[in-house]
Amino acid sequence: MNVLEASGLVKTYRRQHALDGFTLGVTAGEIVGLVGRNGAGKTTFVEVVAGLVRPEAGQLRVCGVDALRQPRAARALSGVCPQETALYPAATVAEHLRLFGALAGLRGPGLRRAVDEIAERMDLADVAGKPTGLLSGGQRKRTQAATALIAERPLLLLDEPTVGADPATRAQLLAVVADRAAAGAAIVYTTHYLPELAELKATVAVAQAGRIVARGTLGELGLTRVNALLTGDALSTGDLTGTEDGDGAAAA
Amino acid sequence: MALPLPDTTFRLTALVRHNTTLMRREPGPVISRLVQPLVLITLMHPLYAAALAGEGAQAGTVQVVTGMLVMFSLLALSVVGTGIMTERSWRTWDRLRATPARAPELLAAKAVPAFALLTVLQAEVIGFGVVAFGLRVRDPFLLALAVTCWALALLGIGMALGAMLRSQGELNVAYDIGGILFSALGGALIPRAELPGWARAIAPVSPGYWAMGALRSALNGQVTATLRDTCTLAGVALAVGALAAWRMSRSSPRSRLL
Repeated sequence: MNVLEASGLVKTYRRQHALDGFTLGVTAGEIVGLVGRNGAGKTTFVEVVAGLVRPEAGQLRVCGVDALRQPRAARALSGVCPQETALYPAATVAEHLRLFGALAGLRGPGLRRAVDEIAERMDLADVAGKPTGLLSGGQRKRTQAATALIAERPLLLLDEPTVGADPATRAQLLAVVADRAAAGAAIVYTTHYLPELAELKATVAVAQAGRIVARGTLGELGLTRVNALLTGDALSTGDLTGTEDGDGAAAA
Repeated sequence: MALPLPDTTFRLTALVRHNTTLMRREPGPVISRLVQPLVLITLMHPLYAAALAGEGAQAGTVQVVTGMLVMFSLLALSVVGTGIMTERSWRTWDRLRATPARAPELLAAKAVPAFALLTVLQAEVIGFGVVAFGLRVRDPFLLALAVTCWALALLGIGMALGAMLRSQGELNVAYDIGGILFSALGGALIPRAELPGWARAIAPVSPGYWAMGALRSALNGQVTATLRDTCTLAGVALAVGALAAWRMSRSSPRSRLL
Protein backbone atom coordinates (compact mmCIF):
# COMPACT_ATOMS: atom_id res chain seq x y z
CA MET A 1 0.00 0.00 0.00
CA ASN A 2 1.20 3.51 -0.80
CA VAL A 3 2.08 5.68 2.17
CA LEU A 4 1.71 8.71 -0.08
CA GLU A 5 -0.81 8.68 -2.86
CA ALA A 6 -1.26 11.84 -4.92
CA SER A 7 -3.38 11.88 -8.00
CA GLY A 8 -4.34 14.59 -10.48
CA LEU A 9 -3.21 17.48 -8.29
CA VAL A 10 -3.75 20.90 -9.85
CA LYS A 11 -2.47 24.17 -8.43
CA THR A 12 -2.44 27.46 -10.30
CA TYR A 13 -0.57 30.64 -9.49
CA ARG A 14 -1.60 33.66 -11.56
CA ARG A 15 -2.93 31.48 -14.39
CA GLN A 16 0.29 29.44 -14.44
CA HIS A 17 -0.08 25.76 -13.61
CA ALA A 18 2.42 24.94 -10.88
CA LEU A 19 0.84 21.48 -10.69
CA ASP A 20 -1.09 20.18 -13.65
CA GLY A 21 -2.36 16.69 -12.94
CA PHE A 22 0.53 15.74 -10.66
CA THR A 23 0.32 12.05 -9.80
CA LEU A 24 2.77 10.19 -7.59
CA GLY A 25 2.72 7.26 -5.21
CA VAL A 26 5.36 6.30 -2.66
CA THR A 27 5.40 3.02 -0.75
CA ALA A 28 6.82 2.31 2.69
CA GLY A 29 10.61 2.05 2.62
CA GLU A 30 10.81 3.67 -0.81
CA ILE A 31 12.81 6.80 -1.59
CA VAL A 32 11.43 8.72 -4.53
CA GLY A 33 13.87 11.26 -5.91
CA LEU A 34 11.79 14.03 -7.37
CA VAL A 35 13.78 15.85 -10.02
CA GLY A 36 12.93 18.51 -12.55
CA ARG A 37 13.90 21.92 -13.73
CA ASN A 38 13.14 24.99 -11.63
CA GLY A 39 9.41 25.64 -11.83
CA ALA A 40 8.57 22.02 -12.66
CA GLY A 41 6.35 21.81 -9.57
CA LYS A 42 8.58 19.93 -7.12
CA THR A 43 8.40 22.43 -4.27
CA THR A 44 4.71 23.17 -4.85
CA PHE A 45 4.04 19.44 -4.59
CA VAL A 46 5.95 19.28 -1.28
CA GLU A 47 4.01 22.32 -0.03
CA VAL A 48 0.71 20.69 -0.95
CA VAL A 49 1.60 17.46 0.83
CA ALA A 50 2.85 19.48 3.84
CA GLY A 51 -0.54 21.19 4.02
CA LEU A 52 0.84 24.66 3.28
CA VAL A 53 -0.89 25.08 -0.06
CA ARG A 54 -4.31 23.83 -1.05
CA PRO A 55 -4.67 22.42 -4.56
CA GLU A 56 -7.63 23.31 -6.75
CA ALA A 57 -8.20 19.71 -7.81
CA GLY A 58 -6.91 16.23 -7.23
CA GLN A 59 -6.68 13.72 -4.43
CA LEU A 60 -4.07 13.24 -1.76
CA ARG A 61 -3.79 10.49 0.81
CA VAL A 62 -1.17 9.93 3.50
CA CYS A 63 -1.34 6.46 5.07
CA GLY A 64 -4.92 6.28 3.84
CA VAL A 65 -5.90 9.62 5.44
CA ASP A 66 -7.50 12.10 3.04
CA ALA A 67 -5.00 14.95 3.44
CA LEU A 68 -7.26 17.51 1.78
CA ARG A 69 -10.18 16.80 4.10
CA GLN A 70 -8.13 16.06 7.23
CA PRO A 71 -4.94 18.08 6.75
CA ARG A 72 -4.00 18.08 10.43
CA ALA A 73 -4.23 14.31 10.70
CA ALA A 74 -2.08 14.02 7.58
CA ARG A 75 0.47 16.52 8.91
CA ALA A 76 0.82 14.40 12.03
CA LEU A 77 2.06 11.58 9.79
CA SER A 78 4.80 13.49 8.00
CA GLY A 79 8.07 15.26 8.67
CA VAL A 80 8.96 18.21 6.43
CA CYS A 81 12.35 19.70 5.64
CA PRO A 82 11.74 22.74 3.40
CA GLN A 83 14.07 23.98 0.71
CA GLU A 84 15.07 27.22 2.40
CA THR A 85 16.71 27.12 5.79
CA ALA A 86 14.07 28.31 8.24
CA LEU A 87 15.42 28.54 11.78
CA TYR A 88 15.21 31.01 14.67
CA PRO A 89 18.65 32.66 14.88
CA ALA A 90 18.33 33.38 18.63
CA ALA A 91 17.16 29.89 19.60
CA THR A 92 19.65 27.11 20.20
CA VAL A 93 19.85 23.83 18.32
CA ALA A 94 18.46 21.95 21.33
CA GLU A 95 15.56 24.41 21.65
CA HIS A 96 14.68 23.85 17.99
CA LEU A 97 14.75 20.10 18.43
CA ARG A 98 12.67 20.26 21.61
CA LEU A 99 10.09 22.55 19.97
CA PHE A 100 9.61 20.49 16.82
CA GLY A 101 9.74 17.25 18.79
CA ALA A 102 7.03 18.55 21.14
CA LEU A 103 4.88 19.73 18.22
CA ALA A 104 5.23 16.27 16.71
CA GLY A 105 3.80 14.82 19.91
CA LEU A 106 6.93 13.65 21.76
CA ARG A 107 6.94 14.24 25.51
CA GLY A 108 9.01 13.88 28.66
CA PRO A 109 11.77 11.27 28.60
CA GLY A 110 10.81 10.25 25.04
CA LEU A 111 11.36 13.80 23.83
CA ARG A 112 14.67 14.13 25.67
CA ARG A 113 15.87 10.83 24.26
CA ALA A 114 14.82 11.79 20.72
CA VAL A 115 16.63 15.15 21.02
CA ASP A 116 19.83 13.48 22.20
CA GLU A 117 19.65 10.76 19.57
CA ILE A 118 19.04 13.01 16.57
CA ALA A 119 21.65 15.53 17.78
CA GLU A 120 24.17 12.70 18.03
CA ARG A 121 23.17 11.21 14.68
CA MET A 122 23.43 14.55 12.86
CA ASP A 123 26.68 15.48 14.59
CA LEU A 124 25.05 18.38 16.42
CA ALA A 125 25.64 17.30 20.00
CA ASP A 126 28.63 19.61 20.45
CA VAL A 127 26.70 22.67 19.28
CA ALA A 128 23.34 21.81 20.87
CA GLY A 129 23.57 24.79 23.22
CA LYS A 130 24.51 27.29 20.51
CA PRO A 131 22.04 29.71 18.90
CA THR A 132 21.55 28.71 15.27
CA GLY A 133 22.50 32.22 14.17
CA LEU A 134 26.06 31.40 15.24
CA LEU A 135 26.30 28.09 13.38
CA SER A 136 28.04 27.35 10.09
CA GLY A 137 25.94 26.79 6.97
CA GLY A 138 26.40 23.01 7.21
CA GLN A 139 25.39 22.94 10.86
CA ARG A 140 22.27 24.96 10.07
CA LYS A 141 21.38 22.54 7.26
CA ARG A 142 21.78 19.60 9.63
CA THR A 143 19.72 21.34 12.32
CA GLN A 144 16.94 21.99 9.82
CA ALA A 145 16.95 18.36 8.71
CA ALA A 146 17.07 17.18 12.32
CA THR A 147 13.87 19.07 13.17
CA ALA A 148 12.13 17.13 10.38
CA LEU A 149 13.66 13.80 11.38
CA ILE A 150 13.30 14.00 15.18
CA ALA A 151 9.97 12.18 15.22
CA GLU A 152 9.93 8.97 13.23
CA ARG A 153 7.12 9.57 10.76
CA PRO A 154 5.83 7.22 8.07
CA LEU A 155 6.35 9.96 5.46
CA LEU A 156 9.32 12.31 5.04
CA LEU A 157 9.34 15.25 2.65
CA LEU A 158 12.85 16.54 2.06
CA ASP A 159 13.01 19.47 -0.34
CA GLU A 160 16.57 19.88 -1.64
CA PRO A 161 18.02 19.22 1.81
CA THR A 162 21.64 19.20 0.65
CA VAL A 163 21.73 22.44 -1.36
CA GLY A 164 24.79 24.40 -0.29
CA ALA A 165 25.90 21.64 2.10
CA ASP A 166 29.54 20.59 2.31
CA PRO A 167 30.44 16.96 1.40
CA ALA A 168 30.51 15.83 5.03
CA THR A 169 27.08 17.29 5.77
CA ARG A 170 25.73 15.79 2.55
CA ALA A 171 27.10 12.34 3.42
CA GLN A 172 25.60 12.53 6.91
CA LEU A 173 22.20 13.56 5.60
CA LEU A 174 22.16 10.83 2.97
CA ALA A 175 23.10 8.21 5.54
CA VAL A 176 20.25 9.25 7.85
CA VAL A 177 17.79 9.33 4.94
CA ALA A 178 18.84 5.83 3.87
CA ASP A 179 18.44 4.60 7.46
CA ARG A 180 14.97 6.04 7.73
CA ALA A 181 13.94 4.37 4.50
CA ALA A 182 15.41 1.09 5.72
CA ALA A 183 13.27 1.49 8.85
CA GLY A 184 10.17 1.72 6.67
CA ALA A 185 9.61 5.43 6.05
CA ALA A 186 8.37 6.58 2.64
CA ILE A 187 10.56 9.43 1.48
CA VAL A 188 10.08 12.13 -1.14
CA TYR A 189 13.47 13.68 -1.82
CA THR A 190 13.66 16.59 -4.25
CA THR A 191 17.07 17.39 -5.66
CA HIS A 192 19.03 18.56 -8.68
CA TYR A 193 21.89 16.12 -7.95
CA LEU A 194 21.33 12.79 -9.65
CA PRO A 195 24.38 11.13 -8.01
CA GLU A 196 22.64 11.55 -4.64
CA LEU A 197 19.70 9.53 -5.94
CA ALA A 198 22.02 6.84 -7.24
CA GLU A 199 23.67 6.69 -3.83
CA LEU A 200 20.29 6.42 -2.12
CA LYS A 201 19.16 3.77 -4.65
CA ALA A 202 16.11 5.93 -5.11
CA THR A 203 13.34 5.67 -7.65
CA VAL A 204 13.52 8.73 -9.87
CA ALA A 205 10.39 10.70 -10.75
CA VAL A 206 10.89 13.42 -13.33
CA ALA A 207 8.60 16.44 -13.02
CA GLN A 208 7.96 18.67 -15.98
CA ALA A 209 5.43 21.50 -16.23
CA GLY A 210 3.57 20.41 -13.13
CA ARG A 211 3.31 16.67 -13.76
CA ILE A 212 5.39 13.53 -13.55
CA VAL A 213 6.55 12.54 -17.01
CA ALA A 214 8.80 9.60 -16.19
CA ARG A 215 9.49 7.30 -13.30
CA GLY A 216 11.90 4.46 -12.65
CA THR A 217 15.36 3.79 -11.35
CA LEU A 218 18.21 5.70 -12.94
CA GLY A 219 19.23 2.44 -14.59
CA GLU A 220 15.77 1.92 -16.02
CA LEU A 221 15.31 5.46 -17.29
CA GLY A 222 18.88 6.00 -18.40
CA LEU A 223 21.00 8.87 -17.22
CA THR A 224 21.13 10.45 -20.66
CA ARG A 225 17.36 10.47 -20.96
CA VAL A 226 16.87 11.95 -17.46
CA ASN A 227 19.52 14.58 -18.15
CA ALA A 228 17.83 15.43 -21.43
CA LEU A 229 14.57 15.99 -19.63
CA LEU A 230 16.21 18.07 -16.95
CA THR A 231 18.06 20.27 -19.41
CA GLY A 232 15.11 20.56 -21.78
CA ASP A 233 16.93 18.93 -24.69
CA ALA A 234 15.30 17.19 -27.62
CA LEU A 235 13.43 14.39 -25.83
CA SER A 236 9.75 14.92 -25.35
CA THR A 237 7.51 13.22 -22.86
CA GLY A 238 6.26 11.00 -25.65
CA ASP A 239 9.70 9.44 -25.89
CA LEU A 240 9.32 7.99 -22.46
CA THR A 241 7.31 4.97 -21.60
CA GLY A 242 5.61 4.28 -18.31
CA THR A 243 4.77 7.81 -17.26
CA GLU A 244 3.33 8.08 -13.77
CA ASP A 245 -0.31 7.27 -14.31
CA GLY A 246 -0.37 5.11 -11.30
CA ASP A 247 0.79 2.08 -13.21
CA GLY A 248 4.27 1.71 -11.77
CA ALA A 249 7.79 2.17 -12.99
CA ALA A 250 8.96 3.14 -16.42
CA ALA A 251 10.50 0.63 -18.72
CA ALA A 252 14.04 1.25 -19.83
CA MET B 1 1.86 12.24 39.86
CA ALA B 2 1.20 14.92 37.22
CA LEU B 3 -1.68 14.25 34.88
CA PRO B 4 -0.76 14.16 31.18
CA LEU B 5 -1.66 17.39 29.38
CA PRO B 6 -4.06 17.24 26.42
CA ASP B 7 -2.27 17.61 23.06
CA THR B 8 -3.45 21.18 22.49
CA THR B 9 -2.32 22.35 25.92
CA PHE B 10 1.00 20.58 25.51
CA ARG B 11 1.67 22.15 22.11
CA LEU B 12 0.51 25.55 23.32
CA THR B 13 2.81 25.34 26.33
CA ALA B 14 5.76 24.42 24.11
CA LEU B 15 5.00 27.28 21.71
CA VAL B 16 4.49 29.90 24.44
CA ARG B 17 7.76 28.85 26.06
CA HIS B 18 9.48 29.13 22.70
CA ASN B 19 8.04 32.58 21.93
CA THR B 20 8.91 33.85 25.40
CA THR B 21 12.48 32.64 24.89
CA LEU B 22 12.70 34.51 21.59
CA MET B 23 11.45 37.71 23.24
CA ARG B 24 13.85 37.29 26.15
CA ARG B 25 16.83 36.82 23.83
CA GLU B 26 16.15 40.17 22.11
CA PRO B 27 15.25 42.34 25.10
CA GLY B 28 16.22 45.72 23.57
CA PRO B 29 12.85 46.75 22.10
CA VAL B 30 10.98 45.62 25.22
CA ILE B 31 13.28 47.51 27.60
CA SER B 32 13.07 50.59 25.41
CA ARG B 33 9.26 50.57 25.45
CA LEU B 34 9.19 50.08 29.22
CA VAL B 35 11.67 52.85 30.07
CA GLN B 36 10.72 55.61 27.61
CA PRO B 37 7.27 56.46 29.04
CA LEU B 38 8.64 56.79 32.58
CA VAL B 39 11.25 59.29 31.42
CA LEU B 40 8.74 61.37 29.47
CA ILE B 41 6.11 61.33 32.23
CA THR B 42 8.71 62.59 34.71
CA LEU B 43 9.88 65.39 32.42
CA MET B 44 6.47 66.45 31.14
CA HIS B 45 4.38 66.20 34.29
CA PRO B 46 5.09 69.78 35.42
CA LEU B 47 4.06 71.12 32.02
CA TYR B 48 0.74 69.24 31.95
CA ALA B 49 0.03 70.01 35.61
CA ALA B 50 0.49 73.72 34.97
CA ALA B 51 -1.49 73.73 31.72
CA LEU B 52 -4.47 71.89 33.22
CA ALA B 53 -4.35 73.37 36.71
CA GLY B 54 -7.73 75.02 36.14
CA GLU B 55 -9.42 71.65 35.65
CA GLY B 56 -8.49 70.24 39.03
CA ALA B 57 -5.45 68.94 40.87
CA GLN B 58 -5.52 65.52 39.19
CA ALA B 59 -6.18 66.69 35.61
CA GLY B 60 -2.55 67.19 34.58
CA THR B 61 -1.48 63.89 36.14
CA VAL B 62 -4.32 61.95 34.49
CA GLN B 63 -3.53 63.52 31.10
CA VAL B 64 0.19 62.85 31.17
CA VAL B 65 -0.12 59.29 32.52
CA THR B 66 -2.93 58.15 30.22
CA GLY B 67 -1.45 60.05 27.27
CA MET B 68 2.00 58.51 27.59
CA LEU B 69 0.45 55.11 28.29
CA VAL B 70 -1.57 55.24 25.07
CA MET B 71 1.26 56.62 22.96
CA PHE B 72 3.89 54.14 24.13
CA SER B 73 1.57 51.19 24.03
CA LEU B 74 0.77 52.12 20.42
CA LEU B 75 4.49 52.31 19.72
CA ALA B 76 4.92 48.93 21.47
CA LEU B 77 2.86 47.45 18.64
CA SER B 78 6.18 47.19 16.84
CA VAL B 79 7.21 44.41 19.24
CA VAL B 80 4.01 42.46 18.46
CA GLY B 81 4.06 42.98 14.69
CA THR B 82 7.77 42.35 14.35
CA GLY B 83 7.28 39.00 16.07
CA ILE B 84 4.88 37.98 13.28
CA MET B 85 6.87 39.60 10.47
CA THR B 86 10.09 37.84 11.45
CA GLU B 87 8.30 34.48 11.52
CA ARG B 88 7.21 35.18 7.96
CA SER B 89 10.55 36.47 6.69
CA TRP B 90 12.50 33.65 8.37
CA ARG B 91 9.97 31.21 6.83
CA THR B 92 9.56 29.64 10.24
CA TRP B 93 5.80 30.28 10.24
CA ASP B 94 5.36 27.80 7.42
CA ARG B 95 7.50 25.29 9.27
CA LEU B 96 5.15 25.61 12.23
CA ARG B 97 2.11 25.35 9.94
CA ALA B 98 3.47 22.07 8.59
CA THR B 99 3.31 20.55 12.09
CA PRO B 100 0.15 19.12 13.69
CA ALA B 101 -0.38 22.43 15.54
CA ARG B 102 -3.58 24.29 14.60
CA ALA B 103 -3.38 27.86 13.25
CA PRO B 104 -5.23 29.30 16.30
CA GLU B 105 -2.71 27.56 18.58
CA LEU B 106 0.17 29.18 16.70
CA LEU B 107 -1.41 32.62 16.91
CA ALA B 108 -2.42 32.23 20.55
CA ALA B 109 1.10 31.18 21.46
CA LYS B 110 2.44 34.26 19.69
CA ALA B 111 -0.12 36.44 21.46
CA VAL B 112 0.45 35.31 25.05
CA PRO B 113 3.91 36.86 25.65
CA ALA B 114 2.95 39.96 23.63
CA PHE B 115 -0.22 40.39 25.70
CA ALA B 116 1.85 40.03 28.86
CA LEU B 117 4.22 42.75 27.63
CA LEU B 118 1.38 45.16 26.80
CA THR B 119 -0.27 44.55 30.17
CA VAL B 120 2.98 44.97 32.08
CA LEU B 121 3.71 48.19 30.19
CA GLN B 122 0.35 49.67 31.17
CA ALA B 123 0.55 48.47 34.76
CA GLU B 124 4.03 49.93 35.05
CA VAL B 125 2.98 53.37 33.73
CA ILE B 126 -0.11 53.54 35.94
CA GLY B 127 1.84 52.27 38.95
CA PHE B 128 4.49 54.92 38.32
CA GLY B 129 1.77 57.58 38.13
CA VAL B 130 0.33 56.42 41.45
CA VAL B 131 3.65 56.23 43.28
CA ALA B 132 5.45 59.24 41.82
CA PHE B 133 2.60 61.70 41.19
CA GLY B 134 -0.25 60.58 43.42
CA LEU B 135 -2.52 59.43 40.59
CA ARG B 136 -5.86 58.33 42.09
CA VAL B 137 -7.48 55.13 40.89
CA ARG B 138 -11.14 55.21 41.91
CA ASP B 139 -12.08 51.80 40.57
CA PRO B 140 -9.22 49.29 40.07
CA PHE B 141 -11.55 46.70 38.50
CA LEU B 142 -12.79 49.13 35.87
CA LEU B 143 -9.20 50.12 35.21
CA ALA B 144 -8.17 46.47 34.84
CA LEU B 145 -10.99 46.01 32.32
CA ALA B 146 -9.85 49.06 30.33
CA VAL B 147 -6.21 47.92 30.40
CA THR B 148 -7.16 44.41 29.27
CA CYS B 149 -9.38 45.57 26.38
CA TRP B 150 -6.78 48.06 25.21
CA ALA B 151 -4.07 45.37 25.33
CA LEU B 152 -6.30 43.03 23.29
CA ALA B 153 -7.02 45.73 20.70
CA LEU B 154 -3.29 46.50 20.43
CA LEU B 155 -2.50 42.84 20.09
CA GLY B 156 -4.99 42.43 17.25
CA ILE B 157 -3.78 45.55 15.43
CA GLY B 158 -0.12 44.52 15.80
CA MET B 159 -0.77 41.00 14.57
CA ALA B 160 -2.88 42.16 11.63
CA LEU B 161 -0.16 44.58 10.52
CA GLY B 162 2.54 41.93 10.94
CA ALA B 163 0.43 39.52 8.90
CA MET B 164 -0.68 41.88 6.13
CA LEU B 165 2.36 44.03 5.36
CA ARG B 166 5.18 42.84 3.15
CA SER B 167 8.38 43.91 4.87
CA GLN B 168 9.90 45.19 8.09
CA GLY B 169 10.31 48.58 6.39
CA GLU B 170 6.59 48.85 5.71
CA LEU B 171 5.92 47.75 9.24
CA ASN B 172 8.20 50.45 10.68
CA VAL B 173 6.48 53.13 8.62
CA ALA B 174 3.06 51.93 9.77
CA TYR B 175 4.09 51.90 13.44
CA ASP B 176 5.93 55.21 13.43
CA ILE B 177 3.36 57.22 11.51
CA GLY B 178 0.34 55.29 12.79
CA GLY B 179 1.55 55.40 16.39
CA ILE B 180 2.05 59.15 16.42
CA LEU B 181 -1.08 59.88 14.38
CA PHE B 182 -3.39 57.68 16.44
CA SER B 183 -1.86 58.98 19.69
CA ALA B 184 -2.30 62.60 18.66
CA LEU B 185 -5.85 62.12 17.36
CA GLY B 186 -6.76 60.20 20.48
CA GLY B 187 -5.74 63.16 22.64
CA ALA B 188 -2.66 61.49 24.09
CA LEU B 189 -0.31 64.39 23.34
CA ILE B 190 -2.66 67.35 23.52
CA PRO B 191 -5.93 67.21 25.46
CA ARG B 192 -8.81 66.42 23.14
CA ALA B 193 -10.53 69.75 23.80
CA GLU B 194 -7.48 71.61 22.53
CA LEU B 195 -7.29 69.76 19.20
CA PRO B 196 -8.33 71.61 16.00
CA GLY B 197 -12.00 71.11 15.03
CA TRP B 198 -11.25 68.83 12.06
CA ALA B 199 -9.04 66.63 14.26
CA ARG B 200 -11.78 66.36 16.91
CA ALA B 201 -14.21 65.36 14.18
CA ILE B 202 -12.12 62.46 12.92
CA ALA B 203 -10.65 61.47 16.30
CA PRO B 204 -13.03 58.49 16.83
CA VAL B 205 -11.35 56.63 13.95
CA SER B 206 -8.31 56.31 16.20
CA PRO B 207 -8.29 53.37 18.64
CA GLY B 208 -6.25 55.72 20.85
CA TYR B 209 -9.36 57.90 21.23
CA TRP B 210 -11.31 55.02 22.77
CA ALA B 211 -8.36 53.94 24.87
CA MET B 212 -7.92 57.44 26.31
CA GLY B 213 -11.63 57.55 27.02
CA ALA B 214 -11.71 54.13 28.66
CA LEU B 215 -8.66 54.78 30.84
CA ARG B 216 -9.76 58.25 31.97
CA SER B 217 -13.29 57.07 32.71
CA ALA B 218 -11.96 54.06 34.62
CA LEU B 219 -9.59 56.22 36.67
CA ASN B 220 -12.55 58.47 37.52
CA GLY B 221 -14.79 55.51 38.34
CA GLN B 222 -17.33 56.26 35.56
CA VAL B 223 -18.87 52.87 34.86
CA THR B 224 -21.07 53.62 31.83
CA ALA B 225 -18.45 55.58 29.91
CA THR B 226 -15.80 52.97 30.66
CA LEU B 227 -18.01 50.13 29.47
CA ARG B 228 -18.92 51.97 26.25
CA ASP B 229 -15.28 52.63 25.39
CA THR B 230 -14.01 49.19 26.41
CA CYS B 231 -16.75 47.54 24.31
CA THR B 232 -15.54 49.53 21.30
CA LEU B 233 -11.97 48.42 21.99
CA ALA B 234 -13.09 44.81 22.35
CA GLY B 235 -14.87 45.11 18.99
CA VAL B 236 -11.69 46.44 17.38
CA ALA B 237 -9.73 43.57 18.94
CA LEU B 238 -12.14 40.98 17.57
CA ALA B 239 -12.25 42.45 14.06
CA VAL B 240 -8.50 42.88 13.57
CA GLY B 241 -7.72 39.64 15.41
CA ALA B 242 -10.00 37.75 13.02
CA LEU B 243 -8.30 39.45 10.06
CA ALA B 244 -4.85 38.44 11.35
CA ALA B 245 -5.96 34.85 11.96
CA TRP B 246 -7.48 34.59 8.48
CA ARG B 247 -4.36 35.97 6.82
CA MET B 248 -1.90 33.86 8.79
CA SER B 249 -3.80 30.63 8.23
CA ARG B 250 -3.69 31.24 4.47
CA SER B 251 -0.10 32.40 4.28
CA SER B 252 1.34 31.53 0.90
CA PRO B 253 4.92 30.29 1.33
CA ARG B 254 6.58 31.97 -1.62
CA SER B 255 4.73 35.21 -2.08
CA ARG B 256 3.56 38.32 -0.34
CA LEU B 257 6.94 39.20 1.13
CA LEU B 258 9.42 41.67 -0.27
